[in-house]
Amino acid sequence: MAASLAIHSRLHVALRIAAAVLGGYAFCWGFIALGMAGLYALGMPFHDAEHLLAMLAFLLYAAVFCWAFVARSLPRVWLVLAGAASLVQMGLA
Amino acid sequence: MFQNFRLAMTWLHTWFGLALGFVLMVVFFFGALSVFDREIDRWAIPQSRFAPQPMPSFDKVLRPVFESMQPTKESIERMKDKVDGPMPERFDTVRRWGAYTTHRDPVLGLFAGYVVPNAKDPEDGVWGNRTIDPRTGAALPDDRLKVGSRFFYPLHYSLNFHWKNLGTWIVGFAALMMLVALASGVVMHRKIFREFFTFRPRKTTQRSALDLHNMTGVVALPFHFFFAFTGLVIFAGIYFPVSHTQLEPLHELHEKIEAQETGLPHDRAGVAAPLASVDAMVAEAQRRWAAQGMAGEVGFLALQHVGDANGYVSIYRAGTDRIALVGNGIHFKASTGELLREDPPKSAVDGVNEFLTGLHLQHFRHWLLRWFYVLGGLAGCVCIATGFLFFVEKRKKQHARAGSQGARVVDALAVTTVTGMLIAALGILIANRLLPEALPAGWPPRGDLEQYAFWGAWVLAMAHAFWRSAPVAQGRMAPAWREQCWAIATMAVAAVLLNWVTTGDHLLKTLGAGYWPVAGVDLFILTGAALAVVAARKLGRRARVVPAVRIAEAAHA
Repeated sequence: MAASLAIHSRLHVALRIAAAVLGGYAFCWGFIALGMAGLYALGMPFHDAEHLLAMLAFLLYAAVFCWAFVARSLPRVWLVLAGAASLVQMGLA
Repeated sequence: MFQNFRLAMTWLHTWFGLALGFVLMVVFFFGALSVFDREIDRWAIPQSRFAPQPMPSFDKVLRPVFESMQPTKESIERMKDKVDGPMPERFDTVRRWGAYTTHRDPVLGLFAGYVVPNAKDPEDGVWGNRTIDPRTGAALPDDRLKVGSRFFYPLHYSLNFHWKNLGTWIVGFAALMMLVALASGVVMHRKIFREFFTFRPRKTTQRSALDLHNMTGVVALPFHFFFAFTGLVIFAGIYFPVSHTQLEPLHELHEKIEAQETGLPHDRAGVAAPLASVDAMVAEAQRRWAAQGMAGEVGFLALQHVGDANGYVSIYRAGTDRIALVGNGIHFKASTGELLREDPPKSAVDGVNEFLTGLHLQHFRHWLLRWFYVLGGLAGCVCIATGFLFFVEKRKKQHARAGSQGARVVDALAVTTVTGMLIAALGILIANRLLPEALPAGWPPRGDLEQYAFWGAWVLAMAHAFWRSAPVAQGRMAPAWREQCWAIATMAVAAVLLNWVTTGDHLLKTLGAGYWPVAGVDLFILTGAALAVVAARKLGRRARVVPAVRIAEAAHA
């Protein structure tokens, strides 16, 4: 484990953690915002959509968090998490 | 970053588990205590040691109390920067009065929210609290700290660190890391089934610690997962405030539509109106519940827009026999007592949400499950503590050779969060019994002093842990563990004796009377004392054996 870490800089580790914590959060925020707007438009009551998306978002966050460390390519992690989050923001704006 | 999936998960488990383990320890332990928060309140406030009471008459008991209430200084202070011009002297426009009780509450907590006329955001407001004896309406002294429900319980979900909700955010991140640690833990250990039955106490400390870590993690896996997850769901509104930021316009629109659909006014009319008999409304609500085959007590009583023509009274049935905290809300027009609305059955999503959060909060009556929660929470503590021990045992010899202090620092922090936390908890209980009933003028409120005792005891325990952990840097065991176990045993016995001396309620009396809230807390503390003695003696024996082995090894070499 130590050997595999040594070949990566502290910066790489910090970027992984940032991707998991911040990227994961932005991704899940986008998931909730888009999901709520969508389900409400489809006729689901507001608070039902709110609760449903929140419950799913925490499970998604935990999964995405793990994935940010497991995935081979760090740029891809950032691209997927930050990219999807920005797309949602642009879509809702 | 790693060669394979399992190594990545192991790294996650080790480092995030270590970093957030210190927070999780506090969350699990005080969560376990919060299961009996109201019973701890009875222990800490002897004036409240009487049987649980139903919701009292509003017209006779509650109304005069509510009318005499004003907002707290803290809430006015918090509002300071959010008003145009000077802060009003009195607050007479009541937005909301509320009273909540459960089958375990002898005293009743009241809540009042007030409109601030010159608030920058008209939705903002100030609020007041009071705790009364529902049999007479007499107020409890407001400097009495409810150690269980107002200190240990918020410590469980906010670390009592309320600045910008930061404590709640830290606990939320720790809960997320708990989910990650469970998932990564399962990936690390392929032989899940075997972990159920594997505990080898006579092997090395490192091996036994890992066995116990795996066993307590796996046996209570569903418990750990459920509580970490539902804890996040309960505070979803804080962690993902989407409805109150990005989707606020949609939320406002929904509230207006909802107010139209339900007939429960969203805003005041601005026209004064009298208040009809609330007792008659309660009687009507109870008649309706009984007619549906769900006769029950009132759990939550709330008046919205008090004194206004748009005012209404909401009466909710106590969830004593249900998972949900309260339910079956019935709403009446405050000025006439006319029925406005009966809440329809819950939607599927709402039902699931209520089930998850209700099971976590457990306000319903089920004593066996209540004890299982305590055991589950303590199993979580054992899991986290053995995780620390394993981390230290695995590295301390290596660190000793390299001259690193890493293992020592982790060990000292582990002592602080495991035994130090117990010393702090006992510190607040002892202070609660030692402080005089009436404090000299000019002293801080009694409840504040109790909290200082808690944090002071913890800081002392931390200082001791760092001081008495030097041997870890040489690859040996820290004497801090053993010494703090003795401190726990002594303090625990002292707490129970002090309860006897100051209130006269010794165990023979409380057990004889079947008064379980106080007898149970005393017995729980004494059990802790016994376990601490066992642990201290074992650690003492090991401390004597290890040098002997070392000498023998040296002789052979």
